[in-house]
Amino acid sequence: MRNLKYLSIFLALIAIVACSDLEEVPVGRLSPDGLVQSPADVQTLINGAIGNMATERYWGRKLSLPIMLRSDMVSIGDLGTPGRRQEVNNFSMGADNGMVTALWPKAYEVIAGTNEAIASAATLDADPAQLDPVTAQAHFFRAYTYYHLVRLFGDIPYLDAPVLDVDAALTISKTSAAEVYSNIIADLEEAKLNLPATQPSRALPSKGTAAAYLASVYLTLGDYQKAYDEAKYVIDNEGEFGLVLEADYQDLFNSGVKSNEPLLTLDFNGFSDGDTGRDYAPALTGIRANERGNIGGGWSVAVPTINVYNAWDGRDYRKAVSLDTTGIFNGVEEPFTKFPDFDSRNIQSAYIAKYTRFVGATGTGNGRASSLDYNLMRYAEVLLIAAEALNEINPGTIEAEGYVNRVRERARNGNGSDFPANVTSGMSQADFRDMVLEERRWELAFEFKRWYDIKRRQLGMEAFGLGGLEPQPSFDPARDYLFPLPFDELDRNPNLAPNNPGY
Amino acid sequence: MLKNKMKNWLKTLVTGIFLLTISVGYGQQKTVTGTIVSNDDGIGIPGVNIVEKGTQNGTSSDFDGNYSINVAEDAVLIFSYIGYVSQERSVTGSSSMNITLEVDVNALEEVVVVGYGTTKKSDITGSVSSVKSEELAAFPVLSAEQALQGRAAGVAVQSNNGGEPGAPINISIRGNTSIGSSSAALVVVDGFVGGALPQPTDIESIEILKDASATAIYGSRGANGVIMVTTKKGKKGKMVVEINSTYATQNTTERIELLNANQFAAYRQAINPAYVQGGTETDWQDLIYRTGNISNHQLSFSGGSENINYYVSGNYFNQKGGVINSGFERFSFLSNVDVQATERLKLGFNAYANRGNKNGIQSQAGSGGSGGGDVISTAYRFAPDTPIQDANGVNTTNPVGDQFDNPFAIATESVDETKTDEYRANFYADYELLKGLNFKTTFGFSTENQTRGRFQPSTLIGQAGTQGGIASIASVKGTNILSENYLTYNAELGKGNLTLLAGYSYQKDRTERYSTGAQGFLSNSLSYYALNAGSDIQTPFSSLSEREIVSLFGRLNYEYDDRYLLTFTARRDGASNFAKNNKYAFFPSGAIGWRISNEGFLKDNKTLSNLKLRASYGVTGNPSITPYQSLANFQPIYANVGDQTVGAVVPDLIANPDLKWESSYQTNLGLDIGFANDRITATFDYYSIDTKDLILRNSGLPEYAGLLSNPFQNVGEINNTGFEITLSTKNVLNEDFSWTTDLNWSTNQVEVVQLIDGQDIFLDSSPGSFLQDETHLLREGEPVGVFWGYEYRGVNQGTPEAGTAGYAETGAGDELFTDLNGDDVITGDDRKIIGDPNPDWIAGLNNNFRYKNFDMNVFFQASVGGDIYSYTFLELASGESNATPEVLNAWTPTNTNTDVPSAAVREKRITDRFVYDGSYVRLKNLSLGYNLPVDVVDKIGFQGIRLSLSGQNLLTFTDFPGTDPEAQYRSQGSQDSNVNRGFDYGSYPNIRSYTLSVNLKF
Repeated sequence: MRNLKYLSIFLALIAIVACSDLEEVPVGRLSPDGLVQSPADVQTLINGAIGNMATERYWGRKLSLPIMLRSDMVSIGDLGTPGRRQEVNNFSMGADNGMVTALWPKAYEVIAGTNEAIASAATLDADPAQLDPVTAQAHFFRAYTYYHLVRLFGDIPYLDAPVLDVDAALTISKTSAAEVYSNIIADLEEAKLNLPATQPSRALPSKGTAAAYLASVYLTLGDYQKAYDEAKYVIDNEGEFGLVLEADYQDLFNSGVKSNEPLLTLDFNGFSDGDTGRDYAPALTGIRANERGNIGGGWSVAVPTINVYNAWDGRDYRKAVSLDTTGIFNGVEEPFTKFPDFDSRNIQSAYIAKYTRFVGATGTGNGRASSLDYNLMRYAEVLLIAAEALNEINPGTIEAEGYVNRVRERARNGNGSDFPANVTSGMSQADFRDMVLEERRWELAFEFKRWYDIKRRQLGMEAFGLGGLEPQPSFDPARDYLFPLPFDELDRNPNLAPNNPGY
Repeated sequence: MLKNKMKNWLKTLVTGIFLLTISVGYGQQKTVTGTIVSNDDGIGIPGVNIVEKGTQNGTSSDFDGNYSINVAEDAVLIFSYIGYVSQERSVTGSSSMNITLEVDVNALEEVVVVGYGTTKKSDITGSVSSVKSEELAAFPVLSAEQALQGRAAGVAVQSNNGGEPGAPINISIRGNTSIGSSSAALVVVDGFVGGALPQPTDIESIEILKDASATAIYGSRGANGVIMVTTKKGKKGKMVVEINSTYATQNTTERIELLNANQFAAYRQAINPAYVQGGTETDWQDLIYRTGNISNHQLSFSGGSENINYYVSGNYFNQKGGVINSGFERFSFLSNVDVQATERLKLGFNAYANRGNKNGIQSQAGSGGSGGGDVISTAYRFAPDTPIQDANGVNTTNPVGDQFDNPFAIATESVDETKTDEYRANFYADYELLKGLNFKTTFGFSTENQTRGRFQPSTLIGQAGTQGGIASIASVKGTNILSENYLTYNAELGKGNLTLLAGYSYQKDRTERYSTGAQGFLSNSLSYYALNAGSDIQTPFSSLSEREIVSLFGRLNYEYDDRYLLTFTARRDGASNFAKNNKYAFFPSGAIGWRISNEGFLKDNKTLSNLKLRASYGVTGNPSITPYQSLANFQPIYANVGDQTVGAVVPDLIANPDLKWESSYQTNLGLDIGFANDRITATFDYYSIDTKDLILRNSGLPEYAGLLSNPFQNVGEINNTGFEITLSTKNVLNEDFSWTTDLNWSTNQVEVVQLIDGQDIFLDSSPGSFLQDETHLLREGEPVGVFWGYEYRGVNQGTPEAGTAGYAETGAGDELFTDLNGDDVITGDDRKIIGDPNPDWIAGLNNNFRYKNFDMNVFFQASVGGDIYSYTFLELASGESNATPEVLNAWTPTNTNTDVPSAAVREKRITDRFVYDGSYVRLKNLSLGYNLPVDVVDKIGFQGIRLSLSGQNLLTFTDFPGTDPEAQYRSQGSQDSNVNRGFDYGSYPNIRSYTLSVNLKF
């Protein structure tokens, strides 16, 4: 009897705690199932893609730095900097280069976010007037990201839907660059169709942004008529799109100024969460031990060769905005010839100033996590695209000269000098072509454009030859216009072999 | 303040109890004295319990077997001691009574705690090591984990951060059975699974369950071994009060020799001729190191009556670390009460509470930036010609290399406090249903709350100057509920003995975390207590994780005729964290034992007193799936559009509904042998553990899938094979002098057997500021975590040498590396395995000497054959910091016969130049104790007074040139802790202590 009494107490104890079906109910985690219910939720995924671009492994450093270093405008300052950076700069990188293996996955993470947004938008029963402009952003950012990848790597895996299964993902092969471009164009067309004429922020693409990128893509493909048409479309609608050339060139690189020139920006606001929201350009391009700007100096990694300083006309206001020729050390302003005296990792050259002069609030030292908004596409480039394309289809037009002159006029405004003068009328088609490319070099200096121009126009032998601004004896045109695909990606999926020639 | 209060309280208490004891002393009628000896060797037996029958009056014999007790004229005394047959003697007519206790024929019947019960040591079929309280309390240590170092074969104990007060300590049993998950042993305290270890002085014994036969009863959590802790219980008899007080002074054992101001300036000028020497001579190591101390006080009350036993203790531990501004303080309480409620019902209650305050300094700098927050490494790096503050009273930052604050400023001005509260309450009831059939139920609850607050004021220019001060708070709250119910049945079946166990267990744990921070404070006086005053609030974080485990378990032990032993164990675990398609797991094991010495042909052998063969095989698990790991997930991230923070998520994980726990298949072969009535005993164990279904992130998922994280997958296999020897000898056993030796020695070979598609997994453990990607790797056929880097060939003499190439050769005096693949350039392909951090063997050697009332303990501990990679020396050779005197011999055009490259800023490449032999033998403890003679002690009303003087880490024999071969850089807290071994960087140096202890018992 007593046994029974105690047993019942114990059994009651067991019963209290013993019932569990072991199902996991994760609170505080986002399960993909049923997450997206409205266009606003689709925007959350697109915001994720934007956030993913503003990370160290992408625009923060791993994408932005290689594109700069690869050009003839930027080289290595501190020779103690990691080999992976030097290898990108001097054309000796292998398929295990740490810059490439970092930017590749991040690019695809951006794409996966847009794919997820497009796929989940398709499941929504929402008003197209509300949903389509949002989905169009996803199409735009997918195109934008593939556009970088196809220019850097050529043939690449192309995915336009979320990956749900590892084995299925491993069956795919590379898509040819031509096909990737046609997919990019399709996405941009979709974006152009549904995006609004203006957005609350230049960080979001508008109809004009999609058209400007179409112009850029067609220019890259050598389809000059279409490039011109798209650029012209933007120019003709500059009022509707709210586009104005910024009066003072310096204001384009000032975190305190909200400019109406950009068609697309990548925003930083002095805040970062780990590597997200953190740019490294101020640190990478800054002068070590420099007291100017009070950010603790930079790291002297990405520095133009002295040839850039020498080749750039001193009367050009854009030179003064783009380059720092002095620094402040121990409270005294010193010329660049003395930079190494204050830190042996500095070199005797003018330093990039676009990312160090007006960085605004910063999250961490050396200007990292600045408040800069990077101009990914600005109206001046659209004008130059129009000029370059028009010259190819119809050389010698006043119209083409006019586009370049608008850019030059704004440059002159800065310091009231008469340089750069308007374009000399009646240039030959070839001279005009070279002139526009040079104009792009200076106007868009250090804005991640020059390497793509060199590649697009196959200017490597010239740019990296003995007469170029940055002689690089290792440059091999058969190999170096493309980056290697990461070696481990080829190991995972042998269908991706062979790697690009020479790697 | 608190310490003083505590002291006063103690004083009052001691005095009070002292007076009480004296007053009790009156009223007794007779004193009986005598010596108790053993019948086999005639030597006095210490610690024999002497109780006046029918009373609570009792005492115990001293170290020589002498006793003295005041009793009634007609009293009967009971003499009892474990391993001996008890005796009852009437004291009538004699005041002197010498007793000879007979050795119990079952002298081996030492009882050992195993999962859900106890067993006679002689009946054990698995591999179990025992560590007794004397060993755990031999010298003051921070925690019981530390006290285990060197005490048991196959058990490796290592602090994660040298001698840092409050540093976490890793215990691994028989190597690391996992790669991606924790290899930490399961801790079971008084039956509570996952309990925090109490203070060493509160522990009666620790049993370490090592093979599958012993651990399978813990199923999916048994693969890493189990540490069974039994806390002290009260014994029947009058109350015993014990006071232990310890005071130790501590100093760092080693420093790194660095350049002085003049040498430094010359070195800098060789790199940069414009360098201007600063005007001071500062030895940063001198500034940050100090003589620290530990004071540790413990007071315990224990005793019991016919039906109730109790043990209550309080402990206060206070350590001032060997680095300024670092310390650790702890209060803890333990209470054990056992009640024989009725003849058949036994109840017990066990409670434990502990508060720890860690006052940290930053060391072992992590990733990111200049690594400038680390007091230890900056003390090496910082320019010695620079003062603490400049002429304007502003803290200096390093004049060369990255801008970082000086170590003195960091140590004194930054705040890093961790407060931890732990509580555990555990109730049990044991009811005898029938003779031999018992039902036991336990219900326990534990909680752990930890808050870490950090603040870096804006006066630390490098760290927080531009941000205007940085503050953060992070909090973790964990709760754990355990309910277990089991039946035990024991029956004699003729010559056989059968024990059956069957039970059910339910456990739920829950962890809540949150953290937040802010920057930009008006004042540096706010510390981290006014985050709202910051101008820039950082992203807050919170998370919840829950786990449930339901289990059925059972065990069968059969012993026949004291010769044949058989054990079967099984557990079935169901766990919420297991993936959808694999919610339940089954873990069986079996073992046999043969006590050959009890066979007829050996039974009468006088030399061989014990010979037993053991063999076991079984499967145990590693519950390495953390909650929700098998589910698909989106991850919220920070995003900013138009300078506005916006809600943003990114695809993170795809689901793996087939994910399983990691399983370890372990074979164990053991031999126990004893000679000369077990004056010499030895245990040999061989084991092989195959851990399969290792959970790794599926690196086979292509990156173009675009997921933030690779999904978890069961891939991979590793093997740990080892051999363990434990040897105990009683070398001399005389009345006045005794000498015993305990040796344990073990090897463990770990090999990666299988990885995903045979692909190497490259890992990086370097400080973030080094900007390196790969420092060590996992490769099939190799040990876990071997170092990966270039082979250094010396200095370029200006003329190219065959087999060398690449840009490293750009000038005379530069570093040369071997061009392994012969392609004339030095690239990542020219790297190879350059070191192995896994030791060949570890050992502990303990000698106890006793001469009359004096005793001495000499304890050596060793680890031999593991390599260390020193990021410290790599950094000091990189030209961006101060340097070791090695650079005085740097290559110059006139000093070419050297392998030290010319003074220059160099990339921090991982090369074999900085791989060192990390072998060491350390005199862990040397102590001298004195027990006051029993008659003296008795006169003043005490049962025992002991004084001891000891030194820890007095001697270290090693070739490692860094501060401490035991150092481990970032092995805790990083996901790959098991594979991230043998790295040294900015570790808190180990500590040499001199300790005075007083032990009072009354």
